[in-house]
Amino acid sequence: MKRHAQVLLLVLTGLGLLHAALFSDLCLRYVKEGLRPLLIASGVLLLLLGLAGAALDRTAPEADAHAHGHDHSTAPRIAWLLFLPALSLLLYAPPALGAYTASHANNKAVPKEQRFDPLPATVPLPMTLTDFTARVQQDGAQAIKGRSIRMTGFVTPVGQGGGWYLTRIIFTCCAADSQSVKVRMYGTSVLPANTWVAVTGTWHPEGRLGTKSATAALDVHRTERISPPVNAYTDDLPITPS
Amino acid sequence: MNKTDELVGVAEEVALVAPAGHQGRRVTGRPLPVVIVTTVGSVAVLSLTGVGWLNQPAVAAWRTVCLAITLQALPFLLLGTVLSGAINAFVPADLFTRILPRRPALAVPVAGVAGVVLPGCECASVPVASSLIRRGVTPSAAFAFLLSAPAINPIVLTATAVAFPGNPAMVAARLLASLVTAAAMGWLWLWLGREEWLRPSVRHTGHRSGHSRRREFRLGFQHDFLHAGGFLVLGAMAAATFNVAVPRSVLDTFSGSPWLSVLFLAALAVLLAVCSEADAFVAASLTGFSPTARLVFMVVGPMVDLKLIALQAGTFGRSFAVRFSTATTLVAVAAGVLIGGALL
Repeated sequence: MKRHAQVLLLVLTGLGLLHAALFSDLCLRYVKEGLRPLLIASGVLLLLLGLAGAALDRTAPEADAHAHGHDHSTAPRIAWLLFLPALSLLLYAPPALGAYTASHANNKAVPKEQRFDPLPATVPLPMTLTDFTARVQQDGAQAIKGRSIRMTGFVTPVGQGGGWYLTRIIFTCCAADSQSVKVRMYGTSVLPANTWVAVTGTWHPEGRLGTKSATAALDVHRTERISPPVNAYTDDLPITPS
Repeated sequence: MNKTDELVGVAEEVALVAPAGHQGRRVTGRPLPVVIVTTVGSVAVLSLTGVGWLNQPAVAAWRTVCLAITLQALPFLLLGTVLSGAINAFVPADLFTRILPRRPALAVPVAGVAGVVLPGCECASVPVASSLIRRGVTPSAAFAFLLSAPAINPIVLTATAVAFPGNPAMVAARLLASLVTAAAMGWLWLWLGREEWLRPSVRHTGHRSGHSRRREFRLGFQHDFLHAGGFLVLGAMAAATFNVAVPRSVLDTFSGSPWLSVLFLAALAVLLAVCSEADAFVAASLTGFSPTARLVFMVVGPMVDLKLIALQAGTFGRSFAVRFSTATTLVAVAAGVLIGGALL
């Protein structure tokens, strides 16, 4: 790889990182919010490196190369691969993970709760998918019985049978370690995959509430489309309509 | 977006890099006509087929995971490259030989424990280990450091404690099994390792009089980053392929048998290339598996995975990477099973 190609590669990678982390929220499709400062620092570093190379290495790189029989002004050809992520970020960034991954990924382990606080009296009650699953399968007091629940997530169609799951994808480090939380929805028609929705409904009675035999499922009374959140990889409470 | 063309080129590139370095020849850039033909060709292919196939759910997921692994690793790779460049340009040659015990057999466990000081994931440790060897540290000690650093640093151990609440034995077992594996691999290299498996470094070592230190540092840094970065993208592509292609329902098939489940999770750790700071959470989600199998997943993951093998092949040469990764996997599985059996 020649010197001008290296400069171009460093500058493009730097710009790609800055575009994804500083000028937009693109990076949240792939990594955690916490990595953003590191990505910005890396982008600045690579950009400076490229500009320094363009400005300083004009003078006699040949003489320097011959001096110790090794030439830093060429880089191995494998480096061409770095153009792919750089251009991908700048021109054609892939979307956040969605229904395809959720239908293949393993379900996140719902943590064991020691005890459950009494549920607030709000109607409908906003809940996260994880909390809902824990309440249904672990709360012996059955506080959730008959309550109207509101949750948000995206649509993952169930394989052949029709029907769909309300879904959230969560990861700890980057999109490579994603896990999903799914709650089965009953009583509405299937929406297109990856549509973000807010649903309101009551627990779908199947199995014994408060034990492992109970399924995390909801009889839906109302569905409305919502715009996808900026950071899709969280299991957030739905924003309560005012 | 010339993925297909690039992928065809990859095999040939990997094959070329090692012999070219071996002869001390310059690896020259792709000639301009080839670049033009490739670019025009891929533009033509894209305009004929459209960009629709890039948005197929599976292809889009592959691109997302590939980009995610690259982005996640890039800052740590840069950190490792900066450290490695700084060690090369500014640290006196005899510093490490003075600090480490003189006998290599003693230097190995010391270097293994020293892995605690490099916070971050596995991508940072490869360039650092390479620069340690160039600075005269015995390779066995540098390899013990390479293996232990991503597995036993405080960030990773804290993440493990969070992922397995109320189960401190898991953290202890992970720390112990990783240290044992790192030290065992260092000693194994002392016993059986041969210098000629390592690619002879074409780099000059250390600071040379008459050259500007800052310029040397910058050019060395740029060279190392471009080199390792290319291999990182290659590893990310391979890992993303398995990540998207292996359906998780396969997991349930193996969780029943204790021995198969250990081997299966070890293989999964290699193929998925989950960052060492996150693998504890993935292990925690594999609820059908025995604690020992999950421990093996967390011991193998930071030491051997597709992106690491690619990085090591780029840094130390292919013949080294193949032998070293195979041996490390075997030792790590054995250490995980023994210590898991005793503690969990």
